[in-house]
Amino acid sequence: MKNLLKKLSPLAPDDSGACSVLYELGGITVICDAGGCAGNVCGFDEPRWFEKRSALFSAGLRDMDAILGRDDLLVKKLTAITKQIDAPFTAIVGTPVPAVIATDLKAIERMSEKRTGLPCIALRTDGTRLYDYGEEMAYFRLFEKFTTDKLPVKKGKAGVIGATPLNTGKTDSKKMSEVIRAKGFDDVVSFGMDSGLDEIINASECERLFVIAPSGIKSAKYLNDKFGTSYEVLYPFADDDPCLKAVNDLNGRKVLVVHQQFLANELRNRLETEQGCDVTCASWFMLDKDYAREGDIHITCEEDMISAVQGVDAVAADPRFKRLLKDFTGEFIPLPHFAVSGTLDKDIK
Amino acid sequence: MVDAFYITAADLAKNGYKDLPAELDPSKHMIYSSPATLDYNSPGAKGFGVKRAGLVIPGSVMLLIAPGCCGRNTALLSELGYDERFFYLMLDDTDIVTGRYVSKIPAACKELLEELDEAPSVIMLCVTCVDALLGTDLERICRKCEEETGVMAAPAYMYALTREKRLPPMGLVRKSVYSLLEKQKRKADECNILGYFSALDDNNEIYALLKSAGIRKIHEIGRCKTFDEYKELSRANFSIVLNAEARAAAQDMEQRLGIPFIELTRMYRLDKIHNQYRLLGQAIGAELDDSEYYEKANSIINDFKAKHGDICFAVGESLNADSFELSLALVQYGFRVAEIYGTVGERNFVFIKKLSELSPGTRIYSNLSPTMMNYTPSPEINAAIGADACYYHSSVAGVCFNGEEQPFGYRGIEMLFTALDKALDEKGEKA
Repeated sequence: MKNLLKKLSPLAPDDSGACSVLYELGGITVICDAGGCAGNVCGFDEPRWFEKRSALFSAGLRDMDAILGRDDLLVKKLTAITKQIDAPFTAIVGTPVPAVIATDLKAIERMSEKRTGLPCIALRTDGTRLYDYGEEMAYFRLFEKFTTDKLPVKKGKAGVIGATPLNTGKTDSKKMSEVIRAKGFDDVVSFGMDSGLDEIINASECERLFVIAPSGIKSAKYLNDKFGTSYEVLYPFADDDPCLKAVNDLNGRKVLVVHQQFLANELRNRLETEQGCDVTCASWFMLDKDYAREGDIHITCEEDMISAVQGVDAVAADPRFKRLLKDFTGEFIPLPHFAVSGTLDKDIK
Repeated sequence: MVDAFYITAADLAKNGYKDLPAELDPSKHMIYSSPATLDYNSPGAKGFGVKRAGLVIPGSVMLLIAPGCCGRNTALLSELGYDERFFYLMLDDTDIVTGRYVSKIPAACKELLEELDEAPSVIMLCVTCVDALLGTDLERICRKCEEETGVMAAPAYMYALTREKRLPPMGLVRKSVYSLLEKQKRKADECNILGYFSALDDNNEIYALLKSAGIRKIHEIGRCKTFDEYKELSRANFSIVLNAEARAAAQDMEQRLGIPFIELTRMYRLDKIHNQYRLLGQAIGAELDDSEYYEKANSIINDFKAKHGDICFAVGESLNADSFELSLALVQYGFRVAEIYGTVGERNFVFIKKLSELSPGTRIYSNLSPTMMNYTPSPEINAAIGADACYYHSSVAGVCFNGEEQPFGYRGIEMLFTALDKALDEKGEKA
């Protein structure tokens, strides 16, 4: 059965992805749930929860709120919180509860803006999709709503889209920024990581955008269309990145790399040029055909992953997948992906 | 930015439970998932939430039927060795709209059974808010699964939406885990202890006291290693309920199996513990001599006081105690309690009233208030009890006191003060 997980546990969902993008922007984020979804985000999918403060709340919905559709109560609670916490905007993140009762999140967005006087974005995530879907939606809505003015381009300023712990396994952008700086950019900003809403508002002053995960492509295209900002796809591995260390001894072998597409692609480039490997990339998440090679694999279920490893000498994938590949006789190389196992790259042993 | 909201015990008691400030009423504000208290919002993540509790039946497995987000943090339980026991039927948006997944559940059960080397004792079918809203008849689905697989199936309702209902999820799951017991001849010298998913601490005095009253076998689900041992619970002569969340389960056992029950409360005041044992003795027709344990606990408190002097505590709610009852006990023992982080309810308001007479200035906070984002620790506090209090006061001596070995009665006092003594000694050494 395609939707039955027998060896794995669920991967990071879309609401976690949306929250991950919003986390450091300084707004008030409300997860429209009964409490469990917010707990999953704060307690599992958001490693910054214990490092950096963010005004991220649960709506604390109860059955009668859902049954009676008490949207006004939600807006009232949101309005109250804006009087307690200074924030430049509010955001509402959907979960299965509003999805089941068909909450009109667009209407709540308008009601909230009217009542709080702050801009609001409501994101129609529902917990059934994967994190990159939520990230893509959050990035796009943010740029669409807040990046309105064409500002003079600042030479040497670069913007990074896709820098979230779920994509990178990192909770800060320091090392990734160093890699971009080495490409000749002296001012590097990672949208939503170590930067706030101001940088989203000023995104049009970037000379170039770097997209490090498929969830950022839609926004990069939008900014390119609207402001003419060029973009480039890459994954900024620092020389001492733990992911690179994990795959440093695969000379000439046939390898399957399983991760988010752009990280996997970058790893493939290095394995091919530096170690002469024959590499196929696979992902449980978005596989943008513009950046995929023939033979790259979009995995949708456990059986797909078991098939994908047939005939390869080594698999580089999150350690959670090892349990699924118990019959695989090649080498399994742990390549953590936070959206799978919740492992940060600094925790790689 | 406003400061973290608090109200003193005196003001809270004066206003009464009906005039609870909005900041202490979670239905009136957004919920802050404080890093200090993540288990509130994420019951499946730590300790015994619905998912882990549903697997307390020996040999059971669980099929979680939900959107992926509901099962995401279950990976945390893999560290505890639960990987082999969890399966997930992931719902997509079409499933939710059409309800088509309901008909797939028996087939999913069959498929998961093929993965197992031996048949489980029961398949727990766990559903979430989606099914609470759709009104899914899970009991009927359980029957259908049993028919098609030949393996028992039981419901587990992870309905976060109904957390404040008369029968909240943790009450419902307790009812479920005892629902597989079948009526059998009861034995006069056996009893059950209900309430927790893990067992009481081995050295708890209740075992010796019950033995002195002629009880030879005491059943606890947390000690059952096999399904046969689990089945023995239905031959108990009576049950002792130590946690009100197990009341519905005990009532169900009384109706179905004819096992009556007595309810006790976990408390930290010596006189109340003594009184409770006296009443328990009366109920089971025996005189329970608890003087030895009373004296021991009393001397532990006195020794602690003599050694550490005037301690000023912060007491949280992520711990094996009622925050307000424990605070009242500490104040009665002569300590100070400057701050409590707790959830005020009708049941524990009685402790607040008493506390207001002895310690009117104690500040009461709600962990769930959004203003707790701005909480700053008070310098007067020199010891913290509870995982949340320890988070807020990381620089002072602290004990989480939220372990799985459950404290109760005099032994609970001993466990607490021993842990505090150790923490204060260690902190002193560091200083």
